[in-house]
Amino acid sequence: MGVPAFFRWLSRKYASIVVHCVEEKGKECNGVCIPVDTTKPNPNEVEFDNLYLDMNGIIHPCTHPEDKAAPKNEDEMMVAIFEYIDRLFNIVRPRRVLYMAIDGVAPRAKMNQQRSRRFRASKEGAELVEEKTRIREEVIGKGGYLPPDEIKERFDSNCITPGTEFMDNLAQCLRYYVAERISNDPGWKNVTVILSDASVPGEGEHKIMDYIRRQRAQPNHDPNTHHCLCGADADLIMLGLATHEPNFTIIREEFKPNKPRPCALCNQVGHELKECQGVAREKQGEHDEFAGSMPGSEQEFIFIRLCVLREYLARELTMASLPFPFDFERSIDDWVFMCFFVGNDFLPHLPSLEIREGAIDRLVTIYKDVVHKTGGYVTHNGYVDLERVELIMQAVGVAEDNIFKKRKEDDEGFKRRMKEKKKRMKNERGPAHMTSGQFAPQALGRRDKPDAVNNARHQAFDMRMQSNKDAAQSLKASMKNGGNSAGPSGSTDGRGVKRKSNDSDSEPEPEDDVRLWEDGWRQRYYKTKFDVEATDDDFRQKVVRSYVEGLCWVLRYYYQGCASWKWYFPFHYAPFASDFKDIKGMFDDFEKDTKPFKPLEQLMGVFPAASGNFLPPTWRSLMSSPDSSIIDFYPDDFAIDLNGKKYAWQGVALLPFVDERRLWAALADVYPDLTTEEQRRNSLGSDLMFVGKAHPLFDFIHELYRTESNEDTEIPAELCHGIQGLLNLDGKPILPDQPVTSPIPTLRDIAHNSAIGVKFRDPAFEKDFVFKAVLLSGAKMPNAVLKPGDWEKGNRQPWRPQTGFNQHRQPAHLDQSGFRALGHSMNRNQHGGRGGGGGGGGEEEEEEEVVSIATLLHQTPTKETTEVNKVADTSLSNIPGRTAYWERLRPTSSPSTLGSSSSSSRMVAAAGVTAGIEPRRLRARRTSRTSRTSRTRAAGGRLLLSSREDTSRGSMTGERTGDNTIRATAPEGSRPPPPSRRYDWNN
Amino acid sequence: MAGEKSEEDTVSEYLGQNPELAQWVDTFRSYSESNKQWVARREFLLRNMEAFPTLEHGVPSSSLDRLLSLSMVWANNVFLGCCYPQAVMDKIKEMGDGIVVQDAPVHKTTKDGIQGRGKRSATTEGESDSGGKRAKSSRKSGPLPQAPAEHQPFFNRLYKAVAWKLVSAGGFGPNLDHFEILRSCVESCKETMACVYVPLKDITGLPAGRTQKEGHVCEIRCQTVYMGTGYGRDEAAAKAMASKEALKVFQGRKVTVKICRRRYNGKDVEDLVLLDEQPRSPGFPPALSYPFQDEQLEEGSS
Repeated sequence: MGVPAFFRWLSRKYASIVVHCVEEKGKECNGVCIPVDTTKPNPNEVEFDNLYLDMNGIIHPCTHPEDKAAPKNEDEMMVAIFEYIDRLFNIVRPRRVLYMAIDGVAPRAKMNQQRSRRFRASKEGAELVEEKTRIREEVIGKGGYLPPDEIKERFDSNCITPGTEFMDNLAQCLRYYVAERISNDPGWKNVTVILSDASVPGEGEHKIMDYIRRQRAQPNHDPNTHHCLCGADADLIMLGLATHEPNFTIIREEFKPNKPRPCALCNQVGHELKECQGVAREKQGEHDEFAGSMPGSEQEFIFIRLCVLREYLARELTMASLPFPFDFERSIDDWVFMCFFVGNDFLPHLPSLEIREGAIDRLVTIYKDVVHKTGGYVTHNGYVDLERVELIMQAVGVAEDNIFKKRKEDDEGFKRRMKEKKKRMKNERGPAHMTSGQFAPQALGRRDKPDAVNNARHQAFDMRMQSNKDAAQSLKASMKNGGNSAGPSGSTDGRGVKRKSNDSDSEPEPEDDVRLWEDGWRQRYYKTKFDVEATDDDFRQKVVRSYVEGLCWVLRYYYQGCASWKWYFPFHYAPFASDFKDIKGMFDDFEKDTKPFKPLEQLMGVFPAASGNFLPPTWRSLMSSPDSSIIDFYPDDFAIDLNGKKYAWQGVALLPFVDERRLWAALADVYPDLTTEEQRRNSLGSDLMFVGKAHPLFDFIHELYRTESNEDTEIPAELCHGIQGLLNLDGKPILPDQPVTSPIPTLRDIAHNSAIGVKFRDPAFEKDFVFKAVLLSGAKMPNAVLKPGDWEKGNRQPWRPQTGFNQHRQPAHLDQSGFRALGHSMNRNQHGGRGGGGGGGGEEEEEEEVVSIATLLHQTPTKETTEVNKVADTSLSNIPGRTAYWERLRPTSSPSTLGSSSSSSRMVAAAGVTAGIEPRRLRARRTSRTSRTSRTRAAGGRLLLSSREDTSRGSMTGERTGDNTIRATAPEGSRPPPPSRRYDWNN
Repeated sequence: MAGEKSEEDTVSEYLGQNPELAQWVDTFRSYSESNKQWVARREFLLRNMEAFPTLEHGVPSSSLDRLLSLSMVWANNVFLGCCYPQAVMDKIKEMGDGIVVQDAPVHKTTKDGIQGRGKRSATTEGESDSGGKRAKSSRKSGPLPQAPAEHQPFFNRLYKAVAWKLVSAGGFGPNLDHFEILRSCVESCKETMACVYVPLKDITGLPAGRTQKEGHVCEIRCQTVYMGTGYGRDEAAAKAMASKEALKVFQGRKVTVKICRRRYNGKDVEDLVLLDEQPRSPGFPPALSYPFQDEQLEEGSS
């Protein structure tokens, strides 16, 4: 679901569903990178069985990253994808199945959205180039400096569409990758890998759902399989809930709003393209040593625990005093259905339902009422009861008028507040003579008292230097810019360089002709959006009918699979909730036995003419020739209706819809022009399954190849954790002991391959089979996480919230001296991180993640904290009175490795702990080490100040800190474990 | 309007006489098409059927598909605001000539509507010019009707900047470097001024008595909006005078961008002008430049 607000809303309202991932990092030893041994227990204290990758969420950031330099060529992209999968594999460590699904040809309902995205991408790309050249000229004309424009081919992200050569190469590369890992990585050797590439129709996540659904419906399925699905789309949450599997977790990159993007011209962060001034780059670090590392360059991952979401929903949805027993599973399905009203990929959302305005809460309230009144649920196994939907819609419709009015009020209120805030901020900056730093004026009566002034002369010096610097900078700027402007530039406006001319009226509000908050909105809406009179009931009925069909289609898609490949919503806008009248008879069933498009046909359906280079020449000419009989599908420019939003990308692209009949008629003439290679790319492929030699299924598959049995064979359930499906021989198989050539020049061929590949098909069911949306018998619910509502009554102890997967996780502690040491080296007035300057501007609201020391310190111990503890233990044991404390900290089962986790927070804990105990001991023992340790201490403090946003810097110093700490405290030769024992996997 | 009505009547009359044709044509209507859109597109189809000789009534063929496609191109252009390659646009312009659509929707493409700065894009021009069927809405050359509103926020900011600048310079007076003040204010608002110099002798249409041989005239614009004109012995002096004139406008309570008629190249044109709130004699000096591009287009075509 392309609704970024949805996930934000969910994770705010149901905060405990999010668990941060613990990631063990590979280490470097003498320049050799030692990969992590993923056969070890999962450091997240949970074991996953199946990992599903929605590959498009991986391919896009790896091929055209937004926050770092793009890979130079296709090979680098592939390697980036491999590394990303490795990372996920390392975090999740699936023990049974790894399922990789790339988007194949999508249902028609989705193709319209894809089409709109691709046309926009193409248009935005062209506009960006234009804008860049214009601003470049302007900046250079003003005497600014810009790095020379690299002449490189822009990567057209549109090629990430099934049927292109790129996707075909990707499939090849992934086969190689899987074979390589199965042969060489011990963590993979027992895992069944299924690869569903772009030649298999269906969206990635829905192919995954189909797999899960069909496994669940067969008798050998293990009802307690722990699933982990990777992907950032909010609809994965819905899909996960729709499976009714008790153990379902989603893993995604941590959501960081407003991440600064580098300016497209000068590659610096902190301003947007249109504000680029071509100023020389600021040095990163004293000697520019941090250049090239973007702030927060490595994203961290989070888990979303659906079982916790289910707990929350159970509290919210449970209805007492129903005339029939409450069925939580049914109400979950209804909740999922109602979320579709707010936004999904297949339908425009209703104008009155806005997730940020609490639309879902409103719907839930209405819903409960409807269930009470009508005595039943709204959906069943993915089929909709339209009568009840109508009741919900009518209830929303009654409030519609007020919703629009309130929206306007809130909007105005927000603007007014922002304006006032801006004004306040301006005032707070104070006059130029205001002192800064520790001399800064402090408000009275606040909690943190100002520190005593220390080193006053130095501070005074700094302040003087600062004003000198300012003056120098403005002088420099005026000299630079004044060079070729007409007159000598006045020294007075030197200061104006920094000041932004951002008044409230600087950005003109887009006009809104509909004015939903004024009477007559319905007429205006239909007039401006559909160009019909509100009295045109027939037309409105048509829109409503299509929307009703849409709701049924979407729900069916989530619960039963694609009901019709042909169906789509043929309008650009949704009707009002109050228009849903007498909808009961509006929908019966979908057309049966529809077929998906072929890959190249779909390319014709979603690409703009500018991306025609991915198609054969005669096909391409259909997109641009005036004599083409489908030329109307390919406008080279189109309007975007903001529809009340602020940014173009939020608006509605007014693109014409594709007429399938004419498309196929036109393509019939050019089909003979396809080469054999293109014909192959245009055909539908099959899922592939790979296993290694150690896997119980290996011999079975090998036998299939030996006997050349060319018919579907069922997997013996006992060989593969109860997974079922049909196997068939692959035409160009990967076979054991046959070398696999690497499709990427920089990677080696696999000489000793021990993987085997075979075609795989999900278990088949009768045509009219209905997949039941229920909990399976034998499913054990995971332990509850939320605080029971009656905790206070029955228990004396205070409630201990659970932060990870494991209830009995040991939190790390820091003793008083540790706190003192931390307090010493950091300014206590500054806490929390501030994302690096402006930029971004994409999301609706500004958010910043404030990480207080407290949260940093309440992280759980990981290997290195415990390691540090142990190390400290040995050196401290002779200090009386301390032993008991360190005893307490010692983990029950101590891992023998010096794992180095990425999370800077834990570093801090580690550094802090040692820093805290350091002074006394070191003075007593090794005075020569003191300098190093004090550096450690400073680094620890710095780390806290910079918080986790700033991981580039943070992790660098952090890494070093951890190391130094350990070396500084460990008695020589006592610790680092012999690497040979740990990394020699082949023995 | 009466003419248009009868036109629609002719179509329905024609279809009434040919019920089979009417039935057949109605199969081309798409589900999401409103009555208004369909009536217009049907007219387009009927008018152009003869131009496709291989087209047989009631029989699907590739030439029928081509006609359907072009009718969609035309409808998408009129109702959705889509633009197509020039060759296609030319073709539908010709084919759609004479079909009248009453108050067709106005759509903005990103270029002009949303990013919202600066000039109109070529697309809207193409859109409003193409087909010629928007008889009512097709505009003459000159600034867009919404242009004043678009420029107003910038000049509000500029007004503040100038006001403060003048305060710090001790108020408006003859001894200021007017150009410098204006320039720095404009640049602090992230814009640049455009100065056009013309030797006085090259200007036509000045009152005969005042025509001097020497000297230069300078015209200052910012964001295509006219701000002031000045005369001087050399270009620098002319510029200073023009700046002074421009600054005078900022002495009022506020400044407004308006569309006014003035002379340019011996013709009356509409120009974007910055005014204070006082009503004053509409006598602008003739424009020295005209930054609204389609003026030339119009000249070229007429």
